[in-house]
Amino acid sequence: MIITTRRTALFAGASLLAAPGLVRAQGAPIRLGTLTPLTGAGGPYGPVMANCVKSVVSDVNAAGGVLGRQVAVVSEDDQTNPEAGVRAARKLIDVDRVAAIMGTWASAVTTAVAPLCWESKTFLATVSGADSITALPHSGWLIRTQPNTTLQGRKFGEYAVELGAKKVFFMAPQTPFTQSQLANMKPPIDRAGGSIELLIYDATKPSLRTEVDQVLRARPDLIVLGGYTPDTTVLLRDIFRAGFRGKLLAYAYSVNQQMLSSLPNDVTEGIYTLAPSPAEGSGGFDRVKRIVGNDNPDPYTCQIYDQINLILMAMAVGNDATGQGIRDNIRKVSQGGGDRVDNAVDGLRAIAAGKKVDYDGASGPCDFTDAGDITDCKFRYEQVRAGRQTLIRIA
Amino acid sequence: MVSYIVFLLVVAGIYALLAQSLCLAWGVTGLVNLGLAGFFAIGAYASATLTKWGGAPVPVGLLAAMLAGAVAGFVVCVSTLRLRDDYLAIVTLGFAEAVRVVASNEIWLTGGTDGISGIPAGLPRDWGQGFHLAALGIVTAILGLVWLALRRLVASPWGRALRAVREDQIVAAVAGKRVTRLKAEAFAIAAAIAALAGALYGHYTSYIAPEIFQPLITIYVFLAVTAGGNGRPTGAAIGAYLLIAFLEATRFAAEVLPGVSAVQAAALREASVGVALILLLRLRPRGLFPELSQKAPA
Amino acid sequence: MIEALLQALINGVIAGTILAVPALGFTAIFAVLNYPNFAIGALATVGAYAGWVGNTALGLPMVAALALAFAATAVAGLVVQWAAVKPLESAGALMMAIASLAAGLVLENALRFGFGNDLRGYDLPLLRDWRFGEFRVGPQQVQNFALALAAMGLLWAFLRYSRTGRAMRAVADNRDLALLRGVDPARVAAVTVAVGAGLAGMGGMLVGLDTSVDPLVGTRLVLSIFAAAVLGGLGSIPGAVAGAIAIGVAEEVAVLAFNPAYRLVVGFVVILAVLTLRPAGLFGARAS
Repeated sequence: MIITTRRTALFAGASLLAAPGLVRAQGAPIRLGTLTPLTGAGGPYGPVMANCVKSVVSDVNAAGGVLGRQVAVVSEDDQTNPEAGVRAARKLIDVDRVAAIMGTWASAVTTAVAPLCWESKTFLATVSGADSITALPHSGWLIRTQPNTTLQGRKFGEYAVELGAKKVFFMAPQTPFTQSQLANMKPPIDRAGGSIELLIYDATKPSLRTEVDQVLRARPDLIVLGGYTPDTTVLLRDIFRAGFRGKLLAYAYSVNQQMLSSLPNDVTEGIYTLAPSPAEGSGGFDRVKRIVGNDNPDPYTCQIYDQINLILMAMAVGNDATGQGIRDNIRKVSQGGGDRVDNAVDGLRAIAAGKKVDYDGASGPCDFTDAGDITDCKFRYEQVRAGRQTLIRIA
Repeated sequence: MVSYIVFLLVVAGIYALLAQSLCLAWGVTGLVNLGLAGFFAIGAYASATLTKWGGAPVPVGLLAAMLAGAVAGFVVCVSTLRLRDDYLAIVTLGFAEAVRVVASNEIWLTGGTDGISGIPAGLPRDWGQGFHLAALGIVTAILGLVWLALRRLVASPWGRALRAVREDQIVAAVAGKRVTRLKAEAFAIAAAIAALAGALYGHYTSYIAPEIFQPLITIYVFLAVTAGGNGRPTGAAIGAYLLIAFLEATRFAAEVLPGVSAVQAAALREASVGVALILLLRLRPRGLFPELSQKAPA
Repeated sequence: MIEALLQALINGVIAGTILAVPALGFTAIFAVLNYPNFAIGALATVGAYAGWVGNTALGLPMVAALALAFAATAVAGLVVQWAAVKPLESAGALMMAIASLAAGLVLENALRFGFGNDLRGYDLPLLRDWRFGEFRVGPQQVQNFALALAAMGLLWAFLRYSRTGRAMRAVADNRDLALLRGVDPARVAAVTVAVGAGLAGMGGMLVGLDTSVDPLVGTRLVLSIFAAAVLGGLGSIPGAVAGAIAIGVAEEVAVLAFNPAYRLVVGFVVILAVLTLRPAGLFGARAS
């Protein structure tokens, strides 16, 4: 306990030094936790997510904090493992007494951590994709910024049709959403008179040549890549080498900046990607670009950016910095009309001025159903050209 | 804070059961089980599927888990018992990975990568802190029973024979010990204990998924058993509590490290587990509670 | 279908040849030092990063980067040996094995500390495969295949013709006899560890060339390496090569025959079957 207090004191001290002359925030800091994978299979995603939250919070602290209090972020590692994730969550909940936990990535970690959160009245915001998560009996203690596979799968299927595909192959490792992604891609493709098949591969295999051969033997005109960055890198190399001339469609979280800079341009040329997106002209996406320092921020980073902003504003609008306050008020800042804001600093200022805000973030409009799923979002349709994501449209 | 400590004591009790398993297989008999996570998984899945989908009461699930663990232990070890002990280490390492792959892909049987949520605990979960305290009582009591049984086994003629096998198989065989049979028995019982730990974990946390059962868990238990003393059930159990204390302490230590990014702190935490194990093996190989020097009969 | 099988065979032989390089390192250490080195996966990762630094930051050509991977991993292997494993020599093979497992965890996280989890790619153009009728082979694959063969050839020549190499074989064959004949065991052990770890590092780099480099790149290979070494007979040098190729082929053919997600199980089943039916492996282990 002593350690934590000292650390937060240091944190608060540092931000005061960084912003001299600003209103000094009163009272004990409000604590929020991030629980992202820093080691293990999710390791490529978690670190930048944790950094993004810290960056948003330091801006807010510099502008005076929330409810006159500074905000402290405690970052824990879930090790992409539910057992380690549960231990870390217990520490965040019981020792740090965080009001909310953000960023759980692996669906298994989220499912394991969720009961702890609702039992302890801690708010949980996740980026996990498995449909089963929002079906948990969480009574409002959980939101998810990742589109569920019903929505995402349908968009993938429709886009495959739009790209003129008749014979689609879906290549993916075994994940909690592989099957339902397939099930939701299928109807639009079937309606267009096409067909789709699935091949599940082993994501730890250093070469997927034979798998690619197997798929190409069916002569698909479009392959949907359903993996994460490390295995999709292997897959793309082998697809390229096999001389596949059809189209490729992937999640933007796998064909991301890291991958584009680790593969030669001609391998990634022409890949289509989909990512959840706010409406055109929203400033949130540009803010995340600035925070992470590149033009293709990861969809997960965009989502955790939205989570922290929403949580900070929910506390302010409800005048309640607890998990309960966040749960009861988050929909008052995420939806329902009002001043459009894309960051918490502006939002907090508007709330202080007594205005109603409606947040539009980096990953979408962030409107939530009662179950905690996003009601709808636009998608960024992008294509990789010369090693860069190029926006085709937002729709 | 109290609920954090209660939770950690339950988890440490489950790790202590894993440590009892490793103590019997490795410390007493000299059989290295690098697939501990696999047996942990088998127990967790056996009990979770039976109680959640089969409607069996939790105690039946626990017994079934032990049975499944023992059978799996026997199958895994039987091919290597006549060979050098390193073969068993390799086989068990592969076994744990194979279990994880099967658990991920046989969705009809295991729920796949979604895992199994809502596993019944046999206790009402809405007791709040009372639930955790009750779970602590049950897990600690089961650990106590296993510990007592193991102590008696280790001190029995059977246990002495196991140590004789560990010290020198050839001498033990010449002295009329049925080496292969002894090893198979010890390994199967140890596997059953690990499976019991897995079943308890599932019932307590209500959720299991293939990603829980990673090789790192096995390394943790090796650290626990090495710290406590691998030949003595008491040492192994205390080692597990020390392990959890150590794992959690590194969390707080990582927070005060200046100038280290989150991922670097996480890397340091994992590395510290390895460093601690190396240092212990080197400086205190017999652990804090060394095996009592009973002369193994030759 | 027959074309598919032949293509899988080609892919398997090439994958197996690359796998043979770290498998050789693992089996050489087992043969001379008599313990399974479970740090082999992390050592392969060290090599992958060393080669990547050499290739991208220092602009080295492939062969020089491979030499750097070998050298850096040899050093890492020696550090592991001296810091973690050697002090436990008297405690037996199992203790050394566990110490190496712990050392592997430290190495993996040291790399994570230094490089983060981001994927790193070699600065290398990727070429389309050559096609021969129904079949295809990649230039990169052929190059890696040749490099792996060259590494094995060098190892063979070293073991056959150099004084140290002969001493290594003598120790592997009969430790006591070798000591009687005046072989310096400490020197032989050090050279073996350096060569064994170096080979693991080269293997890691060859795999990294084909995939990308992250802190888990070597760890993903571990089970296949063990399966190869056990299949060939633990401690047998030619066995490791044959075992690796057999495992490579088995893993590829399994894609056609069963669910491709079950690759890891293939390695495990092979290990189990070999130990049940022919425990000495294809080429006869020396230690059973």
